[in-house]
This record gives sequence, C-alpha cells and structure tokens, in this order.
Amino acid sequence: MMLYTFLSGMLVTLFFVAALFFLRFWARSRDPLFLSFACTFCLLGLGQSLLALGRFAVEERSWVYLVRLAAFLLILAAIYGKNRGRSSR
Amino acid sequence: MQPLLAAAVYLLCFATSSGCAFLLARGYLRSGARLLLWSSICFTFLALNNLMLVLDLLVWPDLDLQTLRLVTSLAGVGVLVFGFIWDQEEEA
Repeated sequence: MMLYTFLSGMLVTLFFVAALFFLRFWARSRDPLFLSFACTFCLLGLGQSLLALGRFAVEERSWVYLVRLAAFLLILAAIYGKNRGRSSR
Repeated sequence: MQPLLAAAVYLLCFATSSGCAFLLARGYLRSGARLLLWSSICFTFLALNNLMLVLDLLVWPDLDLQTLRLVTSLAGVGVLVFGFIWDQEEEA
C-alpha cells in the first residue's frame, strides 16, 4: 500500500508538471491545442488524486474513470479540430 | 455504476487513449516536431495502462495489476517531462 501511495504521488506530480509545461507553451504560442493538453493533464492528475485519496470500493471506482475519459476525449477533440483547421486552410 | 457501463468506460478510456497515441504519432511522422514524439510516447504508455485496466478489472478480476498500471503511467508521463526538459537544454 505504501508503494502504491508513493507511486501515486509521483504520478500526480508529473501530470501537473506536464500540464505546467503545456501551459507555458500555450502562453508563448497562443495555440489552443496546448491549452487543451494542459487541461487534459490537469484532469488526469485530478483523476489519479481521487483514486489515491478517496477510498472507493471497487464498484464505485468506475465513476472516477469518467474524469480520465473526459481528459482523453478533450485531447482527441483538440487534435481533430487542429487537423481539420489545417486541411481546410 | 452498472457493470456494463463501467466496462464501457474502461474500454472507451483504452480506445480514446490509443486514438490519441496514433494521431500524435502520425503528426510526428508528418511534421517531425519532437514535442509530438514525446507526446505520442506518453499516450502510448497511457493506452497500455488503460489496456491493463481492462485486463485487470474486466478479464481477470482476481489479478492485481495496480502497481504495474501505475508504473506504465509513470513511464509515459516521465518520458514526456524528460523530453521537455531535455529539449529545453538543447535550445539554451
């Protein structure tokens, strides 16, 4: 359990660090794709925090994975939007 | 949550993360932007993590892959942050 808590903490930190990097890229370039990446990694960090902190029973845990799913859907939509914008130009 | 709905959420997590990894890898092959390379490696590991989630919770519920799942996510986001810091060193 201690290893799980330790690794979870590391993972959450790295998710938020990655989000900060993307936020800086966005501040430099104003490309909305980077903002989507930043939001995605914040959501992934949030989802992992909830899993580590909220002692959910296994059958309740699947709600938390909706946060993760939202993160992936957000970035898929952003990449799709970017590709479409490029091809219509 | 209903078991069927929960299964759908896990499978969709796997499908969407795989889709992200694929699109980012394709973007890297087209543009050669290293940022896309690091991102696609990251999402490949996250997709692997979600595949393990499906195997762990749906296929073999008795198996405990929790630590292994965390390690794959750590590898993914670790590579991403490493790539960002490494490339920045080269820029300076």
